[in-house]
Amino acid sequence: MYFLELLVSGIAVGSLYALIAMGFVLIYKGTGVINFAQGEVIMVAAFIAYYLVRFGVPFWLAVPLTLVASALLGGLTERLVIRPLLGEPVFSVVMITIGLSIFLRSMAGIIFGHHNYVFPSPFPVEPLHVGGIVLSHNHLWSMIISFSLMLLFFFFFKFSRLGLGMRATANDQDTATLMGINIKRVYALTWGISFVVAGLAGVGLANVMVLNVGLAFVAISAFPAVILGGLESIPGAIIGGLTIGILENMAGGYLDQLVGGGIKDVTPFAVLFLVLMIKPYGLFGTKEVERV
Amino acid sequence: MGKLGRSARMTLWVCMVFLLSAGLALAAGRGVTDDSVKMGFVLVKTGPVAALGIPQGDGMVDYMNYINEKGGINGRKVEMLWEDDGFQAPKSVAAVKKLISRDKVLTIMTTGGTNQTIANMKNIKRYKIANIPNAMALEFFDPLHPYIFALGALYEWQYQVIVDYINDDLKMKDKKIGVVYTRKEYGKKGLDAVKKRAAKYNIPVVAELVMPTGAVDASSQVLALQKAGANIVITCDVLPPIISFLKTAEKYNYWPQVFGFNWATDDLLVKACGPAAKNYIGSGFVGSWTDDTPGIKLVREIAKKYNRKPKLTSLYIGGIGVSMLFAEAIKRAGKDLNPDTLKNSLETLRDFDTGGIFPPVTYTPKSHAPAKKVKLYKTDVEKKCLVPLTGWRSPKDL
Amino acid sequence: MAIRSKTFCESYHEDIKLLDTIWSKCWMGLFVVGLLFLPYISDSYIVYMVNLSCIAVVASVGLNILTGLTGQISLGHAAFLAIGAYTAAILGEGLGMPFWITLPAGGLVSAAAGILVGIPCLRLKGLYLAMATMSFGVMVEYVLITWGSLTGGERGMYMPEVTVLGHTLDTDESMYYFLLCIATLMIIAAKNIVRTRVGRAFIAVRDRDIAAEVMGVNLTGYKVMAFALSSFYAGVAGGMYAYVMGHIHPEHFTLMSSVEYMAMIVIGGLGSILGSIFGAIFIVVVPEGIKLLAQGIESVIPAMQGRYDEEWNIAVFGLLIMLFLIFEPGGLNAIWQRIKTGFKNWPFTY
Repeated sequence: MYFLELLVSGIAVGSLYALIAMGFVLIYKGTGVINFAQGEVIMVAAFIAYYLVRFGVPFWLAVPLTLVASALLGGLTERLVIRPLLGEPVFSVVMITIGLSIFLRSMAGIIFGHHNYVFPSPFPVEPLHVGGIVLSHNHLWSMIISFSLMLLFFFFFKFSRLGLGMRATANDQDTATLMGINIKRVYALTWGISFVVAGLAGVGLANVMVLNVGLAFVAISAFPAVILGGLESIPGAIIGGLTIGILENMAGGYLDQLVGGGIKDVTPFAVLFLVLMIKPYGLFGTKEVERV
Repeated sequence: MGKLGRSARMTLWVCMVFLLSAGLALAAGRGVTDDSVKMGFVLVKTGPVAALGIPQGDGMVDYMNYINEKGGINGRKVEMLWEDDGFQAPKSVAAVKKLISRDKVLTIMTTGGTNQTIANMKNIKRYKIANIPNAMALEFFDPLHPYIFALGALYEWQYQVIVDYINDDLKMKDKKIGVVYTRKEYGKKGLDAVKKRAAKYNIPVVAELVMPTGAVDASSQVLALQKAGANIVITCDVLPPIISFLKTAEKYNYWPQVFGFNWATDDLLVKACGPAAKNYIGSGFVGSWTDDTPGIKLVREIAKKYNRKPKLTSLYIGGIGVSMLFAEAIKRAGKDLNPDTLKNSLETLRDFDTGGIFPPVTYTPKSHAPAKKVKLYKTDVEKKCLVPLTGWRSPKDL
Repeated sequence: MAIRSKTFCESYHEDIKLLDTIWSKCWMGLFVVGLLFLPYISDSYIVYMVNLSCIAVVASVGLNILTGLTGQISLGHAAFLAIGAYTAAILGEGLGMPFWITLPAGGLVSAAAGILVGIPCLRLKGLYLAMATMSFGVMVEYVLITWGSLTGGERGMYMPEVTVLGHTLDTDESMYYFLLCIATLMIIAAKNIVRTRVGRAFIAVRDRDIAAEVMGVNLTGYKVMAFALSSFYAGVAGGMYAYVMGHIHPEHFTLMSSVEYMAMIVIGGLGSILGSIFGAIFIVVVPEGIKLLAQGIESVIPAMQGRYDEEWNIAVFGLLIMLFLIFEPGGLNAIWQRIKTGFKNWPFTY
């Protein structure tokens, strides 16, 4: 029973990680870059949702508004920060996202304040009881949303024109341009969509945790999920997220008492390190072919 | 090469002039003029733990502004300089150097938390910075440090009082304690103190779980505690993770008697958790916002005057208290105010009454130890705040 | 004196000389003299800032060797600093060893850790390598807190003061000369490494490692060497940091610190030692400069009183990283080189 409970809450937390991981993977799939500012985007989206609800906007309207705001933020970021670096080495783009994350975090602190806020949850506090296992509404919805998104994106990338265009751009910018794909539009759309996913993750997280500027750091815990699943694989992101969530909870539930605590947080990173030793491109990632 | 020789000599002359003038600058009393006193303090204002510093800093500043409006102290108005260290020790050290070398403050009222104060101990001695640290640790007053004045019951004492209460006053059958702590210094200290004391009373400690301050999810901790059968949970962590914990416990329908220390004992806990906090009892060493003592009444008056609605009320109260102590020390030092006389006058405080903000404060030239007094508070769900459960208590001598 | 407008080298030795003209030798001499007299013309706060810069310079030079020269992205640099700092603390405080044992020991233990990390990471590239090094950093932080008996855990560790020939260096000014010597030694060593075949091998690994291997550059050997070298520098910097702070704690060596070092080499200029120096000084000094500026504005415009806090500093820091990458990807070093060539070629523009 104990094991099952841990498993279920691990899946619940894992689906949130999966959402975050999906945001990362989307940007990588579309533009070949890891966006280190994803966590900050999640946090900003959560704050936007919080203030909307505070000002009386009903929840079912606040969420879409937040998503629109996130998409706009994504487009803006792409235009101002990423576009100038088109063609530069990956390292520079990664570094600029790090700079963006620092900037967003401090601006959020200045604009939204440093206090701890409690997000007014629309779900009833009373959790569901399914066969003796407790599941909060929050977590249930995160799971549903994660899985639906996964299916959505899977078909999007495999069959839609835009999806194929994004994959082509990530693969080889120059050839994609030659083939008539509008790189700028692809970039803008990729970032917009990824930020929307981040917005969803933000709303989900805000419901579960205390809302403050520190929310951004949760994304760092999601890195192992991203790499585990491989940077280019959406299903990989889901599996990675769930795995990390379960691993964390299991380690917390079983090992914490034995090894003196804190194992719960370091386990994802230790696992990540090990996985990278064995499979340098993650479990489901594609090996990069280099030519001299 | 002769050219270089001359410029080297010129440089030497210039340097000597600077040396002399620097020496002259140091001769004047630091931070004090006939009508003003410059006081500095280092406290976190931004970053993830800013919520723990802002209310206290506001309290410290507000009280001094209040005193200034009543004419200052001995005809001197107090100017407050608040340096932000983001709760990081290197930044705190830099801020201390800046306040002393550039701003030339009389003293730095606090240099921040435990790590920051430890990192600054050399500087405190060197620059004679009388201060009250924003943390409780034994090494701040034992052995005696001439310029550190400890305030606030040590974590060990708080937890001893809690376990004493559990043993003596808590009516419960078959007590089993679970401890939830964070891997920071206060977390570890709390865990050790609880275990030692509980062993003396033969109350079993059935679970010890880590919950980091930035935890996303408290499920595994709550489940483990439930599994171990803990009907009493003692927490050793600051407010936000305790909020997560209480709400998660509510979700799993787990209602142990929860205890926490002073950094978690604040009205915000009740406001954020609502009914989930109904079983919370916390320890603290400041009066509570709703008390009717003269000191707390003054706190509410000042808050109203400067339009403050502090989120963490216990910190605001504490801030005003600290300023009150320094204001009294400045007054007692009289006309001749400098770092040495300030320290000496702090050491003349005997059972100084802050009107219910702190327990009576005593410092002597031989001891800068804090009062070994703690108050327990419990949740009042309807009033949405904490109310006193006990008076000032000390840990029992076992 | 004739103004040089082009490079006229007649031998290989001349090409790789560090200070090639009489002018550059003179400027360097004046700079050294200026450095020597610094504590006499500034207050303790400025000297402290310069001390911190010296530490940062050593750390960033190390990181630049790894990332700028050899192209291996490392987000775990702070972990190596931590290893060096704690080694020095254990030897210095626990066993009472003097600085000329603790600092090199810190460097060596760190270098060993670097090799331990470098070997498994040989196959990793780019972002995956960044992730792996980041994970390593997190694991080191965990070990530092958990292994309390060795590291003091969450209490941190104390560090004694430096004693040189019987004198205890207990002021900022005396520490300044000490740190300056060490930093100078490390910089000269780095400069020398860069201009030899080892340095060139590193650059080859960064630019086209497969081609380099084909041409006979031992990829494994040089990659591991790069890790070891940069970790050695980090370890020494960590030891220096421990001496300056007097007390170390795992919180001083977080992921954010690793990011700061990355920022130093990016803003300073990847692959150049001078760039590392610029970047390090920039990152250490600019936040304090902004603070002084902002507080100066505050005192002049009362409306702005109390509005400044550290958050603005951090915002500017992030903004600077972004702006530098957009407008000047070569960093401060590139700007400096342009100024230098401008002077060299004057009145011509190229």
